[in-house]
Amino acid sequence: MVHKLSLIVNGIKRTVEVKDNEILLDVLRDKLKIKSLKAACWRGECGLCTVLLNGKLVKSCLVLAVEVDGSEIITVEGLVKDGELSPIQRAFIEHGAFQCGFCTPAFVLASHQLLIENPNPSEEEIKEKLGGIICRCGTYLEIIKAIKSASRFYQKK
Amino acid sequence: MSFGSPYFTLPEFTYHKPKTLREALELLEKYGDEAKVMAGGVGLIPFMKERLISPTHVIDIKEIAELKKLEYKKGEGLTIGATITFSELEKYQLLKEKYRALYQAVKLASDNIIRNRATLIGNICEAIPWVDGPIPLIAYGAEVEIKSLDEVRRTPVADFIKGPVEIDLKPGEIVTSIHLPDIPEEAKSGFLKFNTGSEFALLNIAAYLLITAKKKDVRLVYGAISSKPARALEAEKILLRDGDLNALISMAAIKASEELEVISDVLASEDYRRHLIKILTMKLLKELVEEV
Ligand SMILES: Cc1cc2nc3c(=O)[nH]c(=O)nc-3n(C[C@H](O)[C@H](O)[C@H](O)COP(=O)(O)OP(=O)(O)OC[C@H]3O[C@@H](n4cnc5c(N)ncnc54)[C@H](O)[C@@H]3O)c2cc1C
Ligand code: FES
Ligand code: FES
Repeated sequence: MVHKLSLIVNGIKRTVEVKDNEILLDVLRDKLKIKSLKAACWRGECGLCTVLLNGKLVKSCLVLAVEVDGSEIITVEGLVKDGELSPIQRAFIEHGAFQCGFCTPAFVLASHQLLIENPNPSEEEIKEKLGGIICRCGTYLEIIKAIKSASRFYQKK
Repeated sequence: MSFGSPYFTLPEFTYHKPKTLREALELLEKYGDEAKVMAGGVGLIPFMKERLISPTHVIDIKEIAELKKLEYKKGEGLTIGATITFSELEKYQLLKEKYRALYQAVKLASDNIIRNRATLIGNICEAIPWVDGPIPLIAYGAEVEIKSLDEVRRTPVADFIKGPVEIDLKPGEIVTSIHLPDIPEEAKSGFLKFNTGSEFALLNIAAYLLITAKKKDVRLVYGAISSKPARALEAEKILLRDGDLNALISMAAIKASEELEVISDVLASEDYRRHLIKILTMKLLKELVEEV
């Protein structure tokens, strides 16, 4: 059966047709062309397909597309406001918090959500909250620095 | 994105999203063993990708309000519904205060993104020998409530899990909730997990300890050592004796490492696991006793 989903993706209303067995990750990447999402393991291990689904981080390779009809989805593209990078994106650049960049969209999105929920996280809390995402280049130390330096922007809000 | 490999796609099935438990049970009755319940999908979807299971009907229970229950009643205990996620349990203050072993297991199960979707009941229904959820539940003597269109039954978690990916659930049935008995104020409980790098536990252990002048009650539960979780019954008996508690703990830890059935696999040899049983039993029990 074909289902017509209507979603709000990064603030924009989108409609898309999907079959029962389609995975959200594939629909977002291939049909809605959200290319910041990466697929590396397809089984929940690496976190590179992470999106914000109705305000919660989920790994989209483990979500059926039909499930999310009517939902709001945010990816790293959605953090840009009027062409301006968000503070966490700028902090990643300032601290060189990536090498190949493959994991960066997921880390930026999860770091953003972490700071919204907890604007002043300890190093332990950062490690715990980002534990579900893997950086194969090992840039974790820089990522932690970037989050700490961006935290002041979230505290003011 | 499938690169031509079936492992990245799902087999074909019909998706259902019932709004009530009755509707879900009717669907399960109708489709029998062709149907699978989906809660978080965190376990089901990878299994389907690998074609380990290929249900032709997937019944998503996420929107069933009756299953969203998380309630503690003094004297009766804690009820956890089928759609309660690990993240919801993590935020539930009572769990941390009263059911510490379960709280600790919840915090150590996978990562916080997975925990936003994964449910505790999905975890025990998966019945993978290394998962964390069943271990503290068995230590508390928890029971699962199972419903079908014409029956409601309860069974201890320890009996519900029959072996690797094998549970006591018939076609047409659904697990609606887990029930943990209320526990006395003086009772202590804790959970430890030993893993190296991956989330696969080489050993996980939960202990429930009630040692007062009037009453003694002890349960030691181990996972990831063989085909299903197991209690160290002889070691428990040692802890019920009178005497110096620290000496009894050492004896019990050695006993547990000898009496349990333990396998060797690619993750660890039998000897290594027996060593872990001894060390972790000692560590966990000492921690609990020091709190008393
Ligand atoms: C990357 C990753 C890391 C993980 N790490 C850990 C870990 O460290 N520790 C750990 O314990 N687990 C771990 N897991 C396993 C995970 O916790 C379980 O897969 C999850 O809890 C399953 O819950 P779910 O709600 O997603 O179940 P689902 O995927 O929806 O279902 C799993 C199975 O249970 C059945 N089922 C679910 N609910 C019911 C019900 N109410 N009645 C009858 N049958 C039902 C389904 O039919 C299916 O067969 C990990 C999983 C992943 C992907
Ligand atoms: S692709 Fe989803 S977690 Fe790896
Ligand atoms: S920067 Fe290469 S994977 Fe993280």
